[in-house]
Amino acid sequence: MTAPTRWRTLTASVCGAAHRRRGLPNQDAVRVTRCPDHAPLILALADGHGSAHCFRSRCGARLAVGVAHLARSQLHEPVGLSGVRRWAEEQLPRELVREWRRRVERHLAREPFTTDELDALDTAGRRTLAANPFVAYGTTLLMVIVAPAFILYLQLGDGDILTVAASGAIERPIAQDPRLIANETTSLCSPQAWDEMRVTFQALAGAPPGLILAATDGYANSFRDEAGFRQVAHDLWEMIRGGDWAGIERGLPDWLHEATEQGSGDDITVGLLAERTDAGPPDAAPRLERDTDPHERTAPTDAA
Amino acid sequence: MAIRPGGELATRPLHFIWIADCSGSMSTDGKIQALNNAIREALPLMRSVADDNPNAEVLVRALRFSGGAEWHVKPTPIGEFKWTDLRAHGQTDLGYALNMVAEELRIPPMSERALPPVLVLISDGQPSDDYIGGLEALMHEPWGKKAVRIAIAIGEDADTDVLQQFIGHPDLKPLQANNPEALVRHIKWVSTAVLKSASSPASQAAGVPLLTHMPLPALPPASDPTLVDDVW
Repeated sequence: MTAPTRWRTLTASVCGAAHRRRGLPNQDAVRVTRCPDHAPLILALADGHGSAHCFRSRCGARLAVGVAHLARSQLHEPVGLSGVRRWAEEQLPRELVREWRRRVERHLAREPFTTDELDALDTAGRRTLAANPFVAYGTTLLMVIVAPAFILYLQLGDGDILTVAASGAIERPIAQDPRLIANETTSLCSPQAWDEMRVTFQALAGAPPGLILAATDGYANSFRDEAGFRQVAHDLWEMIRGGDWAGIERGLPDWLHEATEQGSGDDITVGLLAERTDAGPPDAAPRLERDTDPHERTAPTDAA
Repeated sequence: MAIRPGGELATRPLHFIWIADCSGSMSTDGKIQALNNAIREALPLMRSVADDNPNAEVLVRALRFSGGAEWHVKPTPIGEFKWTDLRAHGQTDLGYALNMVAEELRIPPMSERALPPVLVLISDGQPSDDYIGGLEALMHEPWGKKAVRIAIAIGEDADTDVLQQFIGHPDLKPLQANNPEALVRHIKWVSTAVLKSASSPASQAAGVPLLTHMPLPALPPASDPTLVDDVW
């Protein structure tokens, strides 16, 4: 069994080309947490919806990646693999939704909806918000937890997770949801959102994947087809195998900028987890584009 | 710097489909020519909106229906799209037309990464075939359900109940055009405001009531409706 104490991590997030043209901020969020003993490792990405009704989704996304890291406290409990799996499948989704909503309520209590925010909505929008204020903060959530004995993948809404085995085989640990087309997505603000969370638990009997890539949907949507997106994972894996992790660190923000300019126009956020083969210490998780919303008081940090 | 990883980058396709009633009644009182003029007049505006969002590849096509249906213009990039006049004769086989649209919205040929297609149905009468079967076929396709569906009723004889069923959303009503001025206004709105919304949509949360349809901008009011008489 390979202990995941030597994983390289890298995250990058760029504002969408279409968002820049319209003067909108990047509404994605990303966070990597290492526990003090370097195991487990948690990567979380969130994509705030950004629609007129979801006018605080940038904040909602950052609350979501913060909530994701609450999982670490549970992971230190000595419950065994089957216990972790049961917890991940049965309890974790509800806990994540409950905590995200609690934090949204706290934020809303501090900063109630303003007249300007509500005036921008139509009657139906105001009615929706009155019934479900979480809509204003709507966001997706992608999570990867790497522990010595297992890897856990969790997804709510659109976005993509790819793994690359040492052999170069590329897989999706969570299958694509055929319902998620036309920019419609399941969301933390959806009623019974926990039922929409998809969880894949992999006990590590052999070698873990060499590379795990998680991305908000703006990245895959920037390629002409699925093969073009999978090619990203293949090419990155080739660079890692060739010892060029530094090249990925240097190039990733520019590659994402190019993708949003020539592709989807959407915000793009990527998180990479790669098992390192040398004996060096684990990497920090550099944040290549920081959120700077002065109203958000729970801004995440990169490494806990 | 290393070569960018991944395959070919591409903007997201946005399919815009005119579905035009070319039944015999459209030939009366200049309706079909008014429609031809309105679409032709709106094209430069449509191109301008498309130019403002280079991340959407706007592909326009037109389907004519009367006795049966046929593609009048195949999918064409908006920059190359030219309008050829429609002619009117025969029945109103809307069901046939909707079945043909449904076939085109299947995955494939449609891509899962496309933007929501825009379907604009323009009709002055009542269907002469099984339109319910055609509508069911359309709504059976994921992209049919997710499409932005707009309907324009030409004249008072248009069956607005049928058009409302096509729209399938209680807050969106068929646009009524009882004269050429109103028709131009509606066609321009669809070609600009609706196209703009569809080409850069934000994500919508599934399962939240009232948010499952793309929000559309309000239709601009007529300049002075009292100056224009209803002719249809």
